[in-house]
This record gives sequence, structure tokens and C-alpha cells, in this order.
Amino acid sequence: MLEFKNADAFIGKVPILRDLTLKIAAAETVALIGRNGAGKTTTLRSVMGFTDVRGQILVDGQDITKMKPSRRPALGIGYAPEDRRLFTGFTVEENILLPGEVAGLDAAERADRLDKVYLVLPELKEMADRPAGAVSGGQGKMVALGRALMLSTRLLMLDEPFQGLAPALAQRYGDALKRLRDIDRDVTVIVTESNPKLLKSFAERTLVIERGEITEPDREAA
Amino acid sequence: MDYTLILLAIFDGLSYAALVFMVAVGLTLIFGVLQILNVAHGSLYAIGAYLTASIGGAIFAAGYAPILAFPLMLIAAALVGILLGGPIEYLLLRRIYHKPEVLQLLVTFAVFMILEDVQRLVWGNQPYFESSALQMLGNIQVFGVYYTVYQLILLPVVAALTLIGLRLFLRRTLTGRLITAVTEDREAAQAIGIDANRVYLLTFVVGAGLAGLGGALASPTTSVLPGIGAEMIVLSFAVVATAGLGRIEGAAIAALLIGLGRSAATYTYPELQVLVPYLIMLAVLLVRPEGLFGSPAARKI
Repeated sequence: MLEFKNADAFIGKVPILRDLTLKIAAAETVALIGRNGAGKTTTLRSVMGFTDVRGQILVDGQDITKMKPSRRPALGIGYAPEDRRLFTGFTVEENILLPGEVAGLDAAERADRLDKVYLVLPELKEMADRPAGAVSGGQGKMVALGRALMLSTRLLMLDEPFQGLAPALAQRYGDALKRLRDIDRDVTVIVTESNPKLLKSFAERTLVIERGEITEPDREAA
Repeated sequence: MDYTLILLAIFDGLSYAALVFMVAVGLTLIFGVLQILNVAHGSLYAIGAYLTASIGGAIFAAGYAPILAFPLMLIAAALVGILLGGPIEYLLLRRIYHKPEVLQLLVTFAVFMILEDVQRLVWGNQPYFESSALQMLGNIQVFGVYYTVYQLILLPVVAALTLIGLRLFLRRTLTGRLITAVTEDREAAQAIGIDANRVYLLTFVVGAGLAGLGGALASPTTSVLPGIGAEMIVLSFAVVATAGLGRIEGAAIAALLIGLGRSAATYTYPELQVLVPYLIMLAVLLVRPEGLFGSPAARKI
């Protein structure tokens, strides 16, 4: 579903990812584990088109390396960046719906997807009309997940969603991801995290990234 | 100072504030979204005025009805926005968004200089004066003072409609909400599929069109001659800085403050007329460096 072929990614002129070759199959749930600065965020941002990439990145066999960033979400990619980055001038529900409007989904389709988002994240329904600037940090992460879900029919990428979440909220976030899995068996999910234990129960596959290079300890051991 | 003079000062200030606002609001919109201070904005104002005055003069001399002055203003504004604003963003600014601010300022300043010479090439040095629009609407008597309907009613109404229309556009239309989203966080906006480049282009065209409309509206009230662009850009910088960069409603209030302050000086200490807008700006910035309505870090429109 997602494939890196000898990809180097740069921030400015500094190479962050080095010669990355990786295949992630459809419907896989992948944990990408690494310390701060290892390249987790850069990996996800490369898929979204926010870094300079040499080599190839393919989504469903299509080379997207040169595709404009703004056209990539329409491939069915939802992305929740690490620091939420909600649009604070809009309500929670407007934040969730906006990607669907941008993509030109018709009203019925948007309503369907919104229902699905609320099924995964019921607590968002209660704060639907609150300004996104007025929700707490943890709730903001939920909203960012909801916004990513609006377009993620193929691929959902969550950057350190558990970072800074209180244990109770982290539990609820994890439960939401499990509910998503129950509802949508086909979507590919990539979650980054610095603590390898946190995603053990959820991820089927664990990748470790260190200084821009990705290894897969489980498979290499087998 | 009798009350007739006070009324005149208020009316002068009000109509002048309306014109300054039209230019300042485009400037602040562009800054809010693109983070570029567009020095060439004054030229866009001047060219809007030149287009209206010269084309108006030609068609009214040929016997067409003066009422055509109003659609002509809209056409001039659209021409400025699309034919000048479009290429400036697309060919120049797009290359320098990630460059240092000093360079951005220099580039828009260069555009300003070039457009100043273009105006002299096209329209020469002699002033244009074409006031059919102003004369057509006649005068109105308010508390014993006669004033033109054009300046006392039309200009403030157009400015108010622009303010309300822009606010509704940004809040209620999808395009407006895309602009708002890109303003707050360009990358997060792209991550949900918003084409930030298109939003930038559209914003610049709208902002440039507003400057052109400001010039078009100003043309019946004044002689259009070299230098009006420079005067207007400096004044609208003062308005935008006083309000806080990127603040649309703030620009309206700052324009009123500076317009009224300026005309009060005109009637009391005329030698201070040029100075007063900057004294107001200085006073505000000394107390609130981020401007009346600005906040140090937030990016909002």
C-alpha cells in the first residue's frame, strides 16, 4: 500500500532519512518506534510532501514523490501531526468536516464519514460546537484524529498521538484506535511513538527508526 | 472653533478614513495570509485611480452617461487585482515566501518603484481630474453644513460593506474558510488537501483589487497625479501598524482614528496635518508595540 524505494529525505540540506526502502501492506497496523530526532516525524512528513525527497515514495503503486502536498490527502490519506495543529477559529466539528469539504465530497458522504468519526470518537460529539481553540490539549489530539479520519480511507498516519496525554486519556485514545480497527479493517495505520511498550498490544508490526534508518527487529530475529 | 468647523472636520475625517481603510484592509489581509508587507500596494491604489479618471474622462467626453462612473470603478478594481495583482504574486512573491523579510520588502519596494515609472510612462506628469461620480450624487445638508453625498455617505457605506463583506466571506464561504485555515497553519492546511498556493494567489488578487477600488473611489475627490501612491502607502502602513498587522476590524478603527486625527489637525494646526497620523501611530505603538488589536504571536484574520 505504501512503499519507500531508496528514499532520502532532507530538511533544508540536512539528510534525515537515509536510503529508506520499506513496504507496508494494506490494512497493516504499524508502530514506528524511535527516539526524538530519529526521523519518525520526517518519515510521515515525507509521505505528506513536506520534505525534499530523493528516491521514490509510492502509494498504491503510484509514485507520489513529485505530487503537490495538497493533492496527496485526496488519495485517502489522513495525517494527524504531533502538535494537533487544529484550526482554532473553527468549531470542533468544522475542523473534522473541513478536509471533506476541501476534497469535494458531497454532503451525504461527508455526513456518513462524520458519523463514522463519532462512532470511533463518541466524546467529540459532545464538544462538536465548541471552538477548537478552547479544547484541552488531550481533547485536541482526539479532534486531530477525527480530522485525519475524515479522509483516511486508505492510510492513517498519527504522529506521537500519546505524547503528553494523561494516562486516562491515552487509554481512551487507544480504545478509539481499537474501535477504528473494528469498523474499518482495510485502512493502513501508522503510529509513531518513542516508548516501544505503548503500542505493543495494538500494532501488528513494529519498525524501529534510528538516525534515519529503519530496521525491523521482529522479522530479522525470525 | 465653531461647531460648523467641527462637523466639517468630522466629515472630512470620515470620508478620508473610508478611503484609507480600503487600501489598508487589503494590505493587512495580504500580510495576514502571506506574511508579506506589500509596499507596491500604494501603486495599485494609484493605478486604480488613474484608470478610473482617465477612462472616465474619455468616455464622458464622448458623451456617455456619468452613471457609468460606478461600474467603471469596479472594472478598474478588477483590472488592478487580476492583471497586476495576479502576476505580482504568481511571478514574483511565490519565489520569496521562504526568504528573509528584508528581501521580501526589497522586492515589493522594487515593484513599487517600477510601477511608479509605469504610471509616468502611461499617464505622464499632468494631473487627471474626473469628478462626474461625485457631482452626480450632489450635496446633502447635515446640521446646516453642506457636504457631498459621495464623500459623506457613499464612501463610508462602501467601506462598511467591504468590512462586513470580507468578514462574511472569510467566515461563511468555503473559500474564505480555506484562507482562514492557511493563515493559521499553512502546513496543517496542506495536510488536509488545501492548495496553499492558490489561496495565496486569490488573497493577493483580492487585496490588490481592494487597493484598486480604493484608488477608483478616491479619484473623483482629488487630482490624480504622481506621488499619490506613495502618500497612500505610508498612511496605510500607519493604519495597519496602529491596528496590529493582519487585523481587519482593527484596521477600520485605526483608519477612523487616523482619518479623524488628521482632519482635526487640518482645521486647527494645518502644519501638523502630515505629522498627526504618525504621532497617533507612535503613541499607540509605545504603549502596545503589537498594535491596538494585535497579539504578539497569533496569526489570524
